[in-house]
Amino acid sequence: MIKVDNLRKQVMVADGELEILRGINLEIKSGQTAAIVGVSGSGKSTLLGLLAGLDVASSGEVWIDGVGLSDLDEDARAALRASKVGFVFQSFQLLPALTALENVMLPLELAGAEDAARRATEFLHRVGLEARLGHYPNLMSGGEQQRVAIARAFAARPALLFADEPTGNLDGATGTKIVELLFDLNRSEGTTLVLVTHDEGLAARCDRVFTMFNGELSEG
Amino acid sequence: MAPASHALSARKLLARDWRGGELGVLLTALILAVGIVVGISAFVARLQTALEQESLRFLAADLVVSSRTEPPETWAEQAGGLDLATASTLAFPSMVFADNDAMHLASVKAVTDTYPLRGELRHSATPYGELATARSVPAPGEVWLAPRLFALLGVDTGDTVSVGEAGFIVSGALRAEPDAAGSMFSYGPRLMMNMVDIPATGVVQPGSRVNHRLLLGGNNDALTEFTDWIKPRLDQGQRLLGLEDSQPRINQTLDRARGFLLLAGSLAVVLAAAAIALAARRFSERHADYVAVMKSLGASTGYISRLYASSLFLLGVLATVLGCAVGWLIQAGFFMAFADQLPVTPGSSGISPYGVGAATALVCLGFFAWPPLRRLSQVPPLRVLRRSSESMGAQRPLDYVLSALAMVGLMLWYSGDVALTGGVVLGVAITVGVGFLLAKGLLRGSRKAGMRAGSVWRLALAGLQRRSNSSALQMVIFAIAIMLLLVLTIIRTSLFDQWQAQLPPGTPNHFVINVAPEERSDFAAFLATENISRERLYPMTRGRVMAVNEEALAERDSVDSDRRQRESNFTWSESVPEGNALIAGSWWSPGTSESLVSLEQDFAESIGAVLGDRLSLRIGADSLVVTVASIRTLDWQSMKPNFFMVFPREVLEGYPSMFMTSFFLPEGQKLALNTLVKEFPTVTVIELDLVIKEIRGIIDQVGVAIEMVLGVIVLAGALVLVAGVQASVDVRIRESALLRALGARKGLLLGALWIEFTVLGLMSGLLAVLGAEAAAALLQARALDLSYSPSYAVWPLGLAIGGGVIGIVGVWSCRRVASSAPLTVLREV
Repeated sequence: MIKVDNLRKQVMVADGELEILRGINLEIKSGQTAAIVGVSGSGKSTLLGLLAGLDVASSGEVWIDGVGLSDLDEDARAALRASKVGFVFQSFQLLPALTALENVMLPLELAGAEDAARRATEFLHRVGLEARLGHYPNLMSGGEQQRVAIARAFAARPALLFADEPTGNLDGATGTKIVELLFDLNRSEGTTLVLVTHDEGLAARCDRVFTMFNGELSEG
Repeated sequence: MAPASHALSARKLLARDWRGGELGVLLTALILAVGIVVGISAFVARLQTALEQESLRFLAADLVVSSRTEPPETWAEQAGGLDLATASTLAFPSMVFADNDAMHLASVKAVTDTYPLRGELRHSATPYGELATARSVPAPGEVWLAPRLFALLGVDTGDTVSVGEAGFIVSGALRAEPDAAGSMFSYGPRLMMNMVDIPATGVVQPGSRVNHRLLLGGNNDALTEFTDWIKPRLDQGQRLLGLEDSQPRINQTLDRARGFLLLAGSLAVVLAAAAIALAARRFSERHADYVAVMKSLGASTGYISRLYASSLFLLGVLATVLGCAVGWLIQAGFFMAFADQLPVTPGSSGISPYGVGAATALVCLGFFAWPPLRRLSQVPPLRVLRRSSESMGAQRPLDYVLSALAMVGLMLWYSGDVALTGGVVLGVAITVGVGFLLAKGLLRGSRKAGMRAGSVWRLALAGLQRRSNSSALQMVIFAIAIMLLLVLTIIRTSLFDQWQAQLPPGTPNHFVINVAPEERSDFAAFLATENISRERLYPMTRGRVMAVNEEALAERDSVDSDRRQRESNFTWSESVPEGNALIAGSWWSPGTSESLVSLEQDFAESIGAVLGDRLSLRIGADSLVVTVASIRTLDWQSMKPNFFMVFPREVLEGYPSMFMTSFFLPEGQKLALNTLVKEFPTVTVIELDLVIKEIRGIIDQVGVAIEMVLGVIVLAGALVLVAGVQASVDVRIRESALLRALGARKGLLLGALWIEFTVLGLMSGLLAVLGAEAAAALLQARALDLSYSPSYAVWPLGLAIGGGVIGIVGVWSCRRVASSAPLTVLREV
């Protein structure tokens, strides 16, 4: 599903070049769940951005379903995301001007789905928010907002789901419920899940655990 | 993705933004821009048609063919075939006899029943009695006499007078005829009769010195067709008279008002464009996250561009429709306010003002709203993970240049006036250029001052300094808005002052000509007894310009040349007459006997004479040659005796002359004129009180229109202030919420916000005042023909608007900081 070969990322800073990723190699098979753990600043989120095609590597290659991302321009990567990739973010990233239902409909509309409203409603049912379809994000708790974000991520039936610290902004009890929901849906939809987290409990639930340290990745 | 889903999404996007309250300022600014442009264009277009009709009143028709011989029947037939209305007049001098054997030379005018086609006849039952608008011309067998002819002939209404072989009953006094101009100085007082009575008089024979006029009225196409048809058929002694030959008296007033309205409209567009640019910028900043999420979910850059372009298009259509409606209401409001005072009904504005409005919407959207929105497609999707990592690309300098050019182009197209546009552009350029540097300097200075002040001040001034680039930009935008308001205020005030000065209470409202030299002292004594104040008595000698530099001018009625012999009233004066201004040459020293002349500018142009040219003149049977010593301008609306040609005393004094003057007669004293014409029967009185009343009425009403426009402009200015404040509200709210979370009291935060916005406003006010003075100076001198003086009164106004309004709007926009829980605020922004 995902294959990474000698992936590097450097950025220019005031006192020279900073190497964030130092030759990452990785392979995750379809349907697997994988966690990337590591201390702050170790390069986890940078790696996630590159895996999802949100950013471009300095060198090396990422393949998703056999398609090399470095051959694609921004629009082609967007098309790939629209057809195969879903996201769950630490800060939820719901659009404040849209209701819960409209937020979930957004990726479906972008993919040109004709029954966007029906499918979005179905997924909001599945995350237990059927009573809050017309509510705006600012009227919802953090846990509810993340449930909307999870419904949005699964609604387009992506083959691959990236989650960036999905429980990072939530209290312990709410975080646990969200994790349950995420894994339940993942199992029933057969999605490949890659998540970045500080939470060792969450990481332990994944099939595989990778550790980032100083720009290098090791499994286990 | 299917196109249908784009349209759907664009519509949804707008609907969602509307609910989220993010479209309010942008849409309002667009509607206001379109509305003001449509409103003012339509108003000015309709005013223009009214003005033209007003001018045509002085011809009594839309078009006139003047002829020394009776016009062929075919002319009227051709006019009838084109559905043009026609009327005929016939003017000639003739002796009029009364039954008491008194007789006097009169200027007889015979008219057909349809006369006049434009304007109206006014008459009264007795000389200087109560005035009424005549519904018809004198009936066959009846005549109306000029008031002084009653005195000269010793007749009253109901008496009989005869012209040639026919007798007529005097049925009233003729007080005003629309096309009287030009005939006032000739032949003597008017007698008006019906055309059907002409044959009975037997006075008009082949070869008689008469003036036939065929009056025509109708639509422009038919008039043009008639003009094309008749031009090749005109003989010697036959001329076409059109709009340019009439003598409108109120054009200058209305022209200035029109200039002011167009200026105001242009400024409103600048203000609205600034509001649109600010609102679009904020809109795009708030949409950056939206776009990043959409991109992370798979939206392409093309999709984003199309989505926002179609949103903008929908917004443009909506704003154009609503703006046109607002514009229609604005112009309808103007006309409702002063329809009663307009001498004629304004015509339709046509659809072009609405086209101008739509074009304005297009330019505003394309050049002001689209550049920041276009950059949205450049938002990197990575923003969903690292908000601060990258943002939208910076606005290209080319965008600023294009926006500025579009703005100047729009103003130029809209006002059609280079000087006017130049003045505004200069003012804005000074405010932007000098302003930006000055703004940064002021901010740095205030920061230093703040270091030594208390914590509220330190907090506020540090905030301003930290965002010094955006604060300076904000300051410049506020300054432009305030500057434009101040410019309008300054110009409005000087326009009003000038109008007031032009026709102050007591402006002469009657002219008297033909006062004989020996009557001068008696005449002056009479006015003194009646308590009537007058201007000085000017000598007046009738003469004709025959040649310029020995090159003979064409006969007066010639059709071949624009430069014709001109008959005029000459006067002498040892000093520049009051209200006249020399534009070339110099005035002669008193007592000179050199053969010199001073010409009025337009008159000099009409005979093709310049400074130093020699003019050959004829006065009676005498000839003399004079050299042009100076060229003057004069104010025709001053209601004081004005002369095309002024000579040194020594040159003209030897020729026979009559005297003229003007005086102010209060309405209640009107009957004194009866005594005057009885005691001085040869004197001609020209009544201008009605014209003055008309001008005053129009000035008052145009004043109302200008005040209304100013009101709309203030609205546009306020919108810019709101849009400008909103642009920085998000970051201020976030910072204030943080401070509150850290334990800052509500009072401290609100105090700091007050200081921050008020200081920003005061600095903007200062910049605005400087820019306004510069722009007003240029506009008054170059574009509006007004005299400039510094307007110290606007200084406190500028500072008050700056400090007060921006302070209030700013704090009001950020009020949530103090009223909601900091966590709620932090979570939202």
